[in-house]
Order: sequence, then C-alpha cells, then structure tokens
Amino acid sequence: MKTATICDWKGMQRFFKQLLTGCLLLPMAVYAGSSAPTIKLFPTTVLEEIKHTGNVAAEMETGLQTVISQLDEQQKLYLDSKCEGNEGDPGCERIAKQLGKSYLEMLDIMADKLPEMEIAVNATSSSLEKRIRKELGQKKTSWTLQELLIGAESSQSAAASQPSLRGRSGMRLSDRFSQYYELVARSSGKTSSSLAVIASDIYLDMQETASLIARTREEISRATLMEQLNQSFGTITPEMQEVVAGVKAILFGEEADATPMAVAPVGTADSGYESALQM
Amino acid sequence: MKSSMKNKLTGLVTAAVITTSLTACSSNPTQVTACSLPEGPNLERAISAARFDLETGCEHEFDGYFQRLLTIAEGDPKKENKASFSDFLLWANDAGLLSKRQARETYNRYFGIKYVTLISDYSICSQTCPQQSDVMRDMNRELADKEQGLLKISADRLNYTRASNLYRETELVLEATCEACGPNE
Repeated sequence: MKTATICDWKGMQRFFKQLLTGCLLLPMAVYAGSSAPTIKLFPTTVLEEIKHTGNVAAEMETGLQTVISQLDEQQKLYLDSKCEGNEGDPGCERIAKQLGKSYLEMLDIMADKLPEMEIAVNATSSSLEKRIRKELGQKKTSWTLQELLIGAESSQSAAASQPSLRGRSGMRLSDRFSQYYELVARSSGKTSSSLAVIASDIYLDMQETASLIARTREEISRATLMEQLNQSFGTITPEMQEVVAGVKAILFGEEADATPMAVAPVGTADSGYESALQM
Repeated sequence: MKSSMKNKLTGLVTAAVITTSLTACSSNPTQVTACSLPEGPNLERAISAARFDLETGCEHEFDGYFQRLLTIAEGDPKKENKASFSDFLLWANDAGLLSKRQARETYNRYFGIKYVTLISDYSICSQTCPQQSDVMRDMNRELADKEQGLLKISADRLNYTRASNLYRETELVLEATCEACGPNE
C-alpha cells in the first residue's frame, strides 16, 4: 500500500525532472551578425508569447519548490527509517501518510498551474508553426534554405566572443524561456539564418513540452485518485495496482527523443582556393 | 596476263588489309590496353594518364577513373588537390565527357560546402518534406563524400566542419519546417 505511494512519487519525480530540466533541447548560439533579419519569424506577438510562457513556468516552479523539497525530505526519512517492507510499523505509517499528503499537495499545484502552462506553450507553438510554415516552408526551397543557413557562417567569425550554449541542458523551463526571449528580443543583431535555427529549435522544444505536459496532466489525474483512495481507505486492491502498472507502462514506457543539435562553426570563413565550379 | 592480274589482285588485297588495319588502329588504338586505371601515388601523373585514356576511348569509364584519382589523392592530402580536381573536371567538360552542370555538381559534392542534394526548384513544404528522410539520407552520403574531398584529400578541416555544421542545422530546420508544414502539403 505504502509502496504504491512511493512508486507514484518516484514516477512523478521522473516527470518533473523531464519537465523542469533535462529532456528538452536548447539552441543557444548568439551570433553577432550585422545584417537585419529578412524573414519574419519572430513578430512581437510571438515574442510576447515566449515571455508569457516563461513567466507561467516560473510561477509553477516557485509554487512547487517548497513542496518538492518537503517530499524529498519525507522520502529520505521513509527510506532511512527502513520503512520499505515494514509498512505495519506505526511510525512508518505516519511518515507515509505525511508523504501522501505532500504528494497530494504537489499534485494540486500541478493540476492548478499546468493548464495555464499548456495554453501558453500551445499558443507559442501555434504562432511559431504558422511563421515557420510561411517563411521557411512556403517561401524557401531546400537550396535557398541552405543558402540562408550558410549565410550565417560568414558572419560567425565575429561570434567567437559570444556565449555559445547550444546542446542539451539541465536548465529549468523558466530559465530556458527567459533565454529564448533574450535571444529573440535582441534579434536586431542577428542574421535571418541564425533566427531560422533558433525558431526551429524553440518550435520543436514547444512541441515536446506540450506533449510532456499532456502526459503529466493525465498522470496527475490518475495519481490524485490513487492517493485519495490511499488516504481514505488505506488499501489498494490488486486490480487498482494492475491499472496503475498499466498506466505507468504507457506513460513511463518511453523516454523523450533527443534531437541532434546544431553546433556553432569553428574558426573563420576563409575558404582559400575558389574553383570556377564553386556553387 | 594471268600472272599480271594475279599480282594486281594480290596487291589490292594487301593494300585493303593494310588500310583496314590502319583505320582500325586510328579509331581505337588503345582500347585494350588504355582502360586500366592509373597507378602510383603521384596525382598529377595519374590525372595525365587518366586524361589520355579518357580522350582515347575510355570515356565510358569516367566514374571509375574519377574514383581512382580520389583514392590516389587521399595518399597526399593538401589544399592544392582541390585545384587539381577542379581543373580535371573543367577539362572533362571541355572534352565533352561531362556537362557543365555535371562538372559543377561533382566538384561541389566533394569539395564544396553546400549540398548538391538540396538542389530544388519548389518550396520545402511541397517538394522536400514529402521525401524528407530520403533527402537526409542523401545529404548524409554527400557529407561522407565531403569528408573524403575536403578532409582526406584537401586537408581542409575548417570547410569540412562548416559542411558538417550545415548538415546539422539543415536537419534541425527541416525537421521543424516539415512539422510546421503538416502532413497534407
């Protein structure tokens, strides 16, 4: 019975870790190109949506911080007291009940904040999707896209002094949105090519985040019900545990995919020999 | 009289045989011996040998000769090799072995940063996305050719890195763009 509570918490922890830190990708190469953007990937509305999403994420993180710390402490106490396999002990039962309460509290906060987060992420994703479709998908051929991307390389010799943070990141969601905002807000110093990469990265990140939020919301509904039953009746039937196991297999069965990240080119754009056949 | 006719006939036959032999020699003099791929480590010498063979009946073996030259050049990587291949391909165009477009695409496939795989006339949504995985697979093969041309033959690490980065950026942007285009376009 109490083991089920611990397992649920562990499962939720995995979700939080994915959601708040490691599963998403971060394109952070700040270029110092001098030419103004010629493609309109980030109008003011998109910029504001990114900012808003970051604020919502920050609110959610702040709300969860205390209760998550509390849960971690209670879980540690439960394990240190060797309560696993010793559920009948009154002290262990008390710890487990407290843990269950904190768990419910955390689920409530999540359930309260995630819908807003979902709306914000979906709105940003949808706006970016339209922009990318129009500006890149419909206005560019694969050859002109390539020329756009390679355009960045000639301006990147000046980027050596700029921070280059691309790649996987263990960064919080709110920090990530904040960096996205900073990147795009200062876009007057960037080339269209780098903006195309940034827009693509943010869009794919949004897609992944939206899917993760949807999965987390499903898990919250299930976990809340389970813990309420656990607190009220103190027992979980084998059928319930079977359902939990099935849901867990579906929800936790696969890890989020990793998208290969672009890396900032090294060195200057000096190409030396120039053939008459050069394209 | 009979003897004189016989001599004349013999003379004509002999002349015909000699003429036929000479004609055969001049139209395909090296067919049997020349179409052997160049050997040795010297690229310039190999290119000369290849050019001689290719303009004397071995033009159908162009790809084989080109691949052999690439292999020979790998033995002595240097920036100047790019120019040697460029000259060779320009010559092949002048000699009518390759069209200008073929020469340009071949050169850029191995020694350029841009991907000839991405040459296209229509929008990404309509042309590239329906075959996104094929495009990426072809780009990946071209990246391997660029590794040979830029890195192993020309010792041009900088431009190979740029080509490699371009591959990764294109992959990322295409993934996002095709996702945004949706399944119907």
